[in-house]
Amino acid sequence: MSRWVLRGLASGIKTTSYPKSPDPGASNAPAAIELNVGALSPELAIETARICPTEAITIQGDASTGSLQFDMGQCVLCGRCVRKAPEAFAYRRAPEVAVRRRRSLETTVSWRDGRIANVAPPNEPADALDKAAELRQRAHRLFGRSLHLRHVDAGSCNGCESELQLLTTPYYDLARLGVFFTPTPRHADGLLVTGVVTRQMHQALIATYEAVPEPKLVIAAGVCAIGGGCFANGPTTHGPLDSILPVDVYVPGCPPSPSALIHGLLLATSKAEERYRPGGASGGA
Amino acid sequence: MSGLAELAELAGLPYRRGAQGELWAECPEADFTVKARELATRALLSDLFACGHGTRRSLMAVFSTIGDSAWLVLRTDLSEDHFHSLTEAVHAASWYEREIAEMFGIRPEGHPAPQPLRLHDWPHRYHPMRDDLSDMKSLPAGHGDRVPKVRGQGVFQLPLGPVRSGPQESAEFLFNSGGEDLVMVSPRFGYKMRLVERLAEGLSVEQALIHAERLAGISTYSNALAFVQAAERAAGVDVGRDVNRARSVLNELERLHHHFGHLGRVADSTGLTVAAAQYAALKEEVLRACAELTGHRYLRGILAFGGLSQRLTAAGQDHLAEALPHWEVTSHRLEALLEDTATFIDRLDGTAVLLTEYAAQHNLLGPIGRSTGADRDCRRDHPYACYKDLRFDVLVKSQGDALARVRIVLFEVSQSLRIVQQILEDWPDAEPAGIAEVRGGSAFGWAEAPGGEALHFVQLDDGGRIQRWRARPPAVVNWHPYAHACASGNNLTDYPVIEASFGISHAEFDR
Repeated sequence: MSRWVLRGLASGIKTTSYPKSPDPGASNAPAAIELNVGALSPELAIETARICPTEAITIQGDASTGSLQFDMGQCVLCGRCVRKAPEAFAYRRAPEVAVRRRRSLETTVSWRDGRIANVAPPNEPADALDKAAELRQRAHRLFGRSLHLRHVDAGSCNGCESELQLLTTPYYDLARLGVFFTPTPRHADGLLVTGVVTRQMHQALIATYEAVPEPKLVIAAGVCAIGGGCFANGPTTHGPLDSILPVDVYVPGCPPSPSALIHGLLLATSKAEERYRPGGASGGA
Repeated sequence: MSGLAELAELAGLPYRRGAQGELWAECPEADFTVKARELATRALLSDLFACGHGTRRSLMAVFSTIGDSAWLVLRTDLSEDHFHSLTEAVHAASWYEREIAEMFGIRPEGHPAPQPLRLHDWPHRYHPMRDDLSDMKSLPAGHGDRVPKVRGQGVFQLPLGPVRSGPQESAEFLFNSGGEDLVMVSPRFGYKMRLVERLAEGLSVEQALIHAERLAGISTYSNALAFVQAAERAAGVDVGRDVNRARSVLNELERLHHHFGHLGRVADSTGLTVAAAQYAALKEEVLRACAELTGHRYLRGILAFGGLSQRLTAAGQDHLAEALPHWEVTSHRLEALLEDTATFIDRLDGTAVLLTEYAAQHNLLGPIGRSTGADRDCRRDHPYACYKDLRFDVLVKSQGDALARVRIVLFEVSQSLRIVQQILEDWPDAEPAGIAEVRGGSAFGWAEAPGGEALHFVQLDDGGRIQRWRARPPAVVNWHPYAHACASGNNLTDYPVIEASFGISHAEFDR
């Protein structure tokens, strides 16, 4: 047994410095897509919507007057749009992609007479912002030092589970951030849900949610739980998750990388800020 | 003449040659069961499934033999919604037939236990692969199912799942126990059923590839590879040497991250936390190498019809060349330490034994099959991609216990590292795939997934759209004997070790 201890010591510290400082080793895979609105033309928009396999890019109208809707909550990061139009669709490699509201994963670009007219910013009433800030403070007070989560697989491909399992291993070591997975919902502060919510998991999911004491958080991890991805319209799909349970944080990705999940967990306890804008840094929303 | 062709002739079945390496034999509906039984006495039943909607439905049984790289497909058109069950004579057919019954509403007459396999909360008259999808959103409540239960003084039933402890896949296992001993375990599947194959119907191959990649996360690549190879074989597309070498190296990288993760979970189940952490670190390192090479940790989006969607990056190649010696040294050290840790070996030795004779009836695949004497590896037996040009060994054991399964996985890690090294020495320069023409037709495609052989069948219409996609990942076969292995004289406390040592995917099974 002592040889195992020595073996462990010999491999040194592997744990990432994230979120204190960016981890170059962990963040080379794309975490999301950002639009570069300046380089978008109606023709490119129509062409990319045609090849998008999960309706993450959809079009209304035609080449002269119309709009493009982009939804990161449906994007499985297949990269077809990036390969087709690299000037307009770019990978975001920084892992901070989690958001608090479903609408923050969406953006709309409209055009008139064949020219890009505007990018819709999110319309947020001022009082809603105050209320949100108050709720955030409360979440931080309640869960900021220690967050215990119960994971529920509501019908995933097991990619998300694979990444979740890695969170508790040396490279990520979630416990250092005060976040733990707990086996029982009764000891949990919230649920972390992956998968599309299948017909046969629906009841089990609701029962698990009800077993978690109030107040509780719900985190939707992965595109399946957020929008359904390529299973969105499946006959056994009862999701998206936010049509069944109130969701506090959305972590897009297929699957979301461990770093993206860490950001989502910190966002849930208000220890991190929202960074992702689907319309890109330049483009409003 | 190949072995399977001889068998077909012995059985009096005229056959034609399909896509390369496929022999197709047709027979009348009434003869199907008799002929399939006859073939199954000399060959292995690799798959049995139904095709088609409405009145045009057919059954297909796929056979293979050791020492012949071909597949023999026995096909019949069905005019009725039932057929005579094969199960009494060919045990491996049992779950295939149950699946045909629940998904297509085609009844296997004379099946000893015809209850649904995955649809345990589903109204009996709806069949997801047959009926109109739009009707299914608002189905009435299901009928429930009857789960086998052991009765006797002091015997109780204890459910585990579907929501498990820790981040794990959803599935339910009902333990029947007298307190210490595990009398019987009844697994209930289907909690994760997304109907992946049905949702891909009517899509182009490029679009359906998205679904094939999401059949299961940790075997993303091998299932997608089997799928795309089936479509390419149907269209007669040859991808060339460079693409094939690139596809093989990715296939082995997936095996490496899967096996490291698997070994980590086995170590964890025996209480070896340092070993679990070390293997998890290795898994993370392989995933990072995959991301560097292809832009995705689980190799999604790299495959395309006719080749690869993009080049493998030069930075990824350098990263891989640098990391490989470290993986070799570390995994070798860990293996030596595991073999020298008595608490580890004792927990695995003799745990959850699968008897060779019983296992042979199921035609088990992958490390589980090879730990029970089944000398099969489709990289060697049905060479695809560039496996013909690569040197690797296949280890077969006959003990059939958890220790044998783990030793085979340990051995496969060393062989995968050896294959990656060989490809690094002659690195392929695969151009991104051009637009290859998809043609109508049907063919099988296969790949050795980490859990065993993945066999996919694809039928395309004249416009190149999916008419039927049958995915038979290894989990479909390998869950079958699980309950039997659990009941081989184990205790409740052995259960985590049993489950980890099998390490079978639920997403692959439920689909």
